[in-house]
Amino acid sequence: MKRTARNRIVVPYRSDRTFYGHGIPRVDLQQLAGKLIVVEGADGSGRSTQIARLVEWLEGCGHATVQVGLKRSTLVSEELDKAQTGNILSRTTLSLFYATDFADQLENIILPALKAGFIVLADRYIYTLMARDMVRGMDEAWLKNLYGVALEPDTVFYLKVPPEELVQRNFAKNMSLDYWESGMDIGLSRDMFDSFLQYQHAMEKTFKYLQTIYGFTIVDGMRSADAISAELQKKIEAVLVGK
Amino acid sequence: MKTFAELGFPGRLIAVEGLDGSGKSTQIYLLKRWLELQNLKVYFSEWNSSDIVKAATSKGKKRELLTPTTFSLIHATDFADRYERHLVPLLRAGYLVLCDRYIFTAFARDVVRGCPPEWVRGIYNFAALPDLTFFFKADLEVSLQRILDGRPQLKYFEAGMDLRLSTDPYESFRIFQGRMLEQYLAMSTEFNFLVLDANQLVEAQQNMVRELVGRRLDLGKFRQAERLPARPSKETPKRQKTVVQEVAE
Repeated sequence: MKRTARNRIVVPYRSDRTFYGHGIPRVDLQQLAGKLIVVEGADGSGRSTQIARLVEWLEGCGHATVQVGLKRSTLVSEELDKAQTGNILSRTTLSLFYATDFADQLENIILPALKAGFIVLADRYIYTLMARDMVRGMDEAWLKNLYGVALEPDTVFYLKVPPEELVQRNFAKNMSLDYWESGMDIGLSRDMFDSFLQYQHAMEKTFKYLQTIYGFTIVDGMRSADAISAELQKKIEAVLVGK
Repeated sequence: MKTFAELGFPGRLIAVEGLDGSGKSTQIYLLKRWLELQNLKVYFSEWNSSDIVKAATSKGKKRELLTPTTFSLIHATDFADRYERHLVPLLRAGYLVLCDRYIFTAFARDVVRGCPPEWVRGIYNFAALPDLTFFFKADLEVSLQRILDGRPQLKYFEAGMDLRLSTDPYESFRIFQGRMLEQYLAMSTEFNFLVLDANQLVEAQQNMVRELVGRRLDLGKFRQAERLPARPSKETPKRQKTVVQEVAE
């Protein structure tokens, strides 16, 4: 890490950008000089740890960073939290509410930051949102149209950790399993432990499927944090210089 | 996209669409009264009525946080909430559901704001089409006058100020409404709008509405089941009488 800090700062290579679908009206993609890096994975997969490390490393290398994540928009994050606590919204509604949260951050944080040449680190992106909805039986074509607003990232990592290990990590950290991360709303099982495993297996399967469409990098999350960081850094370095 | 009848729902959905000031709300209210007085199962739904999403929507509007995309999405969220929690269950239960505005408002409004039409339509394709859609077509000047006479304070998004059409809210509202009308007219044939001349008198329009509804729907199917009254009471006919008088006035 120290080594890079002393080296000449890499000016990110400017690549062609596209939206996945219709995109956001009146956005000039040519102006987006920064880079968008996405880290996907379940709770307990090590996402936050890796993102914190990436920020340290990127800043050390002379890059300005911005972080975004799900349910962090000014517009609807509070209301989304409330709605989730009561579990009162039906699936299409919840899905659109999350899409609103995403679009708000895309337009108000991600795009302006990229325009200003920042490296944007996204703690999950549309793939988690799509996978959650697909596991709940929502139509794939409908989701693709909906998330056609999204910008294609420069690179996407999926930290893969088997559900059996996720259980252990969640217990080690919180001593409990999250209602939504256990998919309790679907009614897979009355037993939360069983439900968690079934749900996370279904999510893993869906991610595997989405990978064939969106081509993200699957990272083995069972290794040490250092080993994982090294892999992410190597890939990001390649992105910065245009491979 | 199919109508509720085509999807085999026992209920029927009647929607009214039109510009602000076209008089559509008055017409659907009178239709509702007519149906209720025949003792039919009727539910009336307004465009913005969901509590949960309302908070976010009004915050976004008040603080002018909304872009065309998030404006579209938050309204779609609100619609989905009402659709899944109210409209669908009621239509399953065989109700006549009346909607003051339906998906066509979103189609027109979001496209005027610059959202791609296919994207907007794709988002709303979870919703079935109304069984009857009335479009109240008034001259642009007539509807503008009705609004501008009665309520001179125009809200930011309502006037389409976010589109930067004009710095003058009234001028902006005129241009915005004109574009909305163009969008509505372009959809009219595709979605089988029953176009009514909203420049006519209230009674003349209502006459047409009731006639069309009576002709297109088998209203007898929607009658409230006879139930044993909880306790013998003479209040019910009395209350109805007052309502009849109210409408007659």
